[in-house]
Amino acid sequence: MSIQEHYRSRAKELLSSGTVKMVIGYGTGSTPDRRRPVFITSPDETDRLVLDKACRTNLSGYLLREGLLSDQKQVAVFFNLDGVRSLNILAAESQLETAQVLVLGFRIEGEEVTALQGERAADFKSLIAAAKEQRKSQPPHELQEKLEAMTPKERFSFWEAEFSRCIKCYACRQACPMCWCRRCVVDNNQPQWVNTSSHTLGNLEWNLLRAFHLAGRCVECGNCSRACPADIPLHLLNRRMSDEVQGSFDHYPGMDEAQEPVLASFRKDDPETFIL
Amino acid sequence: MAKIGVFVCHCGENIAAKVDCTKLKAAMESHPGVSIATEYKYFCSDPGQESIKKAIVEQGLTGVIVAACSPRMHEATFRKACAAAGLNPYLCEIANIREQCSWVHSDGDEATEKAIEITRSLVEKVKRNNELQPILVPVTKRALVIGGGIAGIQAALDIANAGGEVVLVEREASLGGHMAQLSETFPTLDCSQCIMTPRMVEAAQHPNIRLLTYAEIEKVEGFIGNFHVRVKMKARYVDMQACTGCGDCIQKCPQKKISGEFDCGLANRPAIYTPFAQAVPNKPVIDSRHCTYFKNGKCKVCVKVCQTNAINFDMQDEYLDLEIGAIVVATGFQIQDTSLYGEYGYGRYPDVVTGLQFERLASASGPTGGRIARPSDGKEPETVVFIQCAGSRDPSKGVSYCSKICCMYTAKHAMLYAHKNHHGTSRVFYMDIRAAGKGYDEFTRRAIEEDGAGYIRGRVSKLWQENGKLMVRGVDTLLGKPVEVPADMVVLATAMVPQPDAKEFAKTLGIGCDEYGFFNEAHMKLRPVETATAGIFLAGACQSPKDIPDSVAQASAAASKVLALFSREKLEREPIIAMNNEATCSGCWGCVLACPYNAIEKKDITDRAGNLIRRVASVNPGLCQGCGTCVTFCRSNSIDLAGFTEKQIFAAVMGL
Amino acid sequence: MSEVFEPKIVAFVCTYCTYAGADLAGTSRLKYPSNVRIVRLPCTGRISPMFILKALQKGADGVLVSGCHPGDCHFDHGNYHARRRWTVFNSLLQFAGVPEERVKFSWISAAEGIKFAELIREITEDIRKIGPFEEYHKLIAETGSAAPL
Repeated sequence: MSIQEHYRSRAKELLSSGTVKMVIGYGTGSTPDRRRPVFITSPDETDRLVLDKACRTNLSGYLLREGLLSDQKQVAVFFNLDGVRSLNILAAESQLETAQVLVLGFRIEGEEVTALQGERAADFKSLIAAAKEQRKSQPPHELQEKLEAMTPKERFSFWEAEFSRCIKCYACRQACPMCWCRRCVVDNNQPQWVNTSSHTLGNLEWNLLRAFHLAGRCVECGNCSRACPADIPLHLLNRRMSDEVQGSFDHYPGMDEAQEPVLASFRKDDPETFIL
Repeated sequence: MAKIGVFVCHCGENIAAKVDCTKLKAAMESHPGVSIATEYKYFCSDPGQESIKKAIVEQGLTGVIVAACSPRMHEATFRKACAAAGLNPYLCEIANIREQCSWVHSDGDEATEKAIEITRSLVEKVKRNNELQPILVPVTKRALVIGGGIAGIQAALDIANAGGEVVLVEREASLGGHMAQLSETFPTLDCSQCIMTPRMVEAAQHPNIRLLTYAEIEKVEGFIGNFHVRVKMKARYVDMQACTGCGDCIQKCPQKKISGEFDCGLANRPAIYTPFAQAVPNKPVIDSRHCTYFKNGKCKVCVKVCQTNAINFDMQDEYLDLEIGAIVVATGFQIQDTSLYGEYGYGRYPDVVTGLQFERLASASGPTGGRIARPSDGKEPETVVFIQCAGSRDPSKGVSYCSKICCMYTAKHAMLYAHKNHHGTSRVFYMDIRAAGKGYDEFTRRAIEEDGAGYIRGRVSKLWQENGKLMVRGVDTLLGKPVEVPADMVVLATAMVPQPDAKEFAKTLGIGCDEYGFFNEAHMKLRPVETATAGIFLAGACQSPKDIPDSVAQASAAASKVLALFSREKLEREPIIAMNNEATCSGCWGCVLACPYNAIEKKDITDRAGNLIRRVASVNPGLCQGCGTCVTFCRSNSIDLAGFTEKQIFAAVMGL
Repeated sequence: MSEVFEPKIVAFVCTYCTYAGADLAGTSRLKYPSNVRIVRLPCTGRISPMFILKALQKGADGVLVSGCHPGDCHFDHGNYHARRRWTVFNSLLQFAGVPEERVKFSWISAAEGIKFAELIREITEDIRKIGPFEEYHKLIAETGSAAPL
């Protein structure tokens, strides 16, 4: 049985037994390489579920839809390991309880999609720990490497060119599973910290501030870059932040639901080489 | 519409010599929102302050900027003047054009330009200032003192003698703590019991002190002036009202082989017992872990002999809820487990004892009646070796800090030994002699010069038994030679460590502790008896190793802090505190974690029927100290800091 | 270029340590360049990364953020939190191409008037060397009237 069939029947089972009230998964999209989230509530509809290498969107953000989890009933969600990590972060930041979420885990490697063992966020602990180790030795992204090698001036021009295309549509924010603030700072106009007109300056401020807010929280799922209509490589900023928190504070976001937010905690011997 | 008054002070020549005050005044006059700008030689003087007051009243000012010296100098002065003229003091800001401008720059034009920018920035800020009212917090005038050792007793008595109400809680069955265990005390050699027990009695009988022994703190909630404390009264199985303290039950209890805690295991006690003869209250408790009845369901000898029917095996733990205004934590210390030093043979050789055990041997009320005798055979030792720093100043195995009291008590031990055994020999292995304190160095000199204690500077590497002797091998670093001393008894100056549950207890109290579990003071130098949590104070060795004089001094200091608090009906606090916008808060609790003062609570938002809708952060104005760490964490800009709001700072930066 | 470029520098400091240190520099009559403008905050914990961006938007060529040394924070550990934020934000700024000379972080205690004066001298000198933050100024100009006050 293919993994897609396996999970379709598992979803049917979960829905018909009443274990979960909804399965959040992937359905066919507008083009063959795109998948669209589907929200299945009836066992008869589970054959709408698709699971293949195009299923890249992190679906955890949908769990925070107002009222979805307020009845204490369970919801099953398709997650790769990044998704499970974001689930842990949402729990650590008190936005949901993992007990209400059943994980249908999968991993995409090249063409191949395999199932992950476990159904509760805590079941994936050792896999996440392994991913943390692996990230340390992960070779840097090609573009990131190129950027790091540039002079500050060149880097500034690179980002200036990128951000000049930003139209402040906030699709990055909408797509990001970690952007769940009831009010985004950019929507606060007293004071207006971020210029809302889509000039390059305000665009730069917005994207830097967003990257800062995601530091230590981003699981590098890539939702932001995929959502960006201007094709700005936003994930690069987040990636750089992840390098920093892991390198300086040994923080790998989403280890478990008890993890303390990296910017709300500290160690007295945190590194401080740059402070005069 | 803002009506700001700008008052440019010359500070004699201090400012005016560099900054063109007239130009600054002119620049401010034309700035939007400024109604009046004036200059004067000394605005801090009486006529200066009067002119500000007059302008406030005549112009109906909504904000005041005094461009003068540092706010650290005269902010309070000018805010008071504003308040006197009916302007809320928090609508006054100081532009520092002296310390940070005229005094540090040589070029007049540059200084003037900078002064204009500094002042303009603050004008923009003050336009966004809000009226703030001091925060008033009611004070419950009842103190809780936790721990009935010398520090706790001293604090309780000081507060009670000044008329304050005190609840003194001790977890053991009697007051006294470690001091009651000691023989004689350095540097005067007066007997510990003789100076301690009257204090214990005084505390127990004081009309303002409510004594709760055999009781533990279960929960602490609330904040300064308004703590809610739950105390667990452990079941004693003896009715305190009925019991006369005759002691018949203690005599007759068949279970007599329990290692006595008070005598550090050098003597046994029964299952129904008072910790020591002079215990306060002098009424027994039943140790249910060892009592035959609790173990086998049979015995009840104590019930039979008790003439007042005071024994009650059905007694349960009880809980007491107290309203408390201030807390003094005086939970004391423990001595480190010495068995981790295998080379010293503690636990293996009965004649290797700790300093505290030696105290019991030397104490007139101890198991030997004050005769210094070997635990193994009861013989008086002819040679005693004292090993200092047995755990202290040893980062590899023990603790890295100095336990502070060991140099003194070891000298005392050597002295007591010399006084009791005139022919005996004592040898002290030491690293350094740390005898800083009134009469302390003289005391150690006396031990060496008059009482013949032989001090050897060096550490002991090994200890073994040979021909009935304890062989102590060490090195004399002054001679550069190894030494071997055959001894009859070895005394280890064990390290003072926090109570084993100190870290847990710090969490209960909501205060900080260091890596060992010693409680943290708010500031090591300037606020040594306060904790970072307002209204909770420290006394004695729970904070760091201390001797008796230091513990007592700190206890009195803590008591004075409590009394200062109790001298007011209401606490008035600077209203520079955080506030949360509940409408936009998502309840991620990052602020709760980041707050150094545990000042942010989780608050339920419910509908009219009481159903929980969501939870948001809520700042407790009694606890918040106004650092603003939470504000910077808050991604949604929900939390803000009064006096330094996001709007104010934004305006200040944009005004530069 | 014949005339010396005079950069604009904004400093965000905590009131208990660095502000007091700057006062001490004044009472000691130490001299340092007049390029710096100080914004006083209660604690480094209150200093948000947005302050830095807004200072740059106001045309600052350099920014200094400074507070109590680790262990000395008046608020116990506000500066430890600040340090983590700075670590993260500093690397973000550098990755975005803001030269490291332009945004500086320091610990200056109430007793370190000399350190304050020296640091201001040093930062001013460094920024004089690299010149105005033209790349940023260009973005500001482009924004035109959009910058609110």
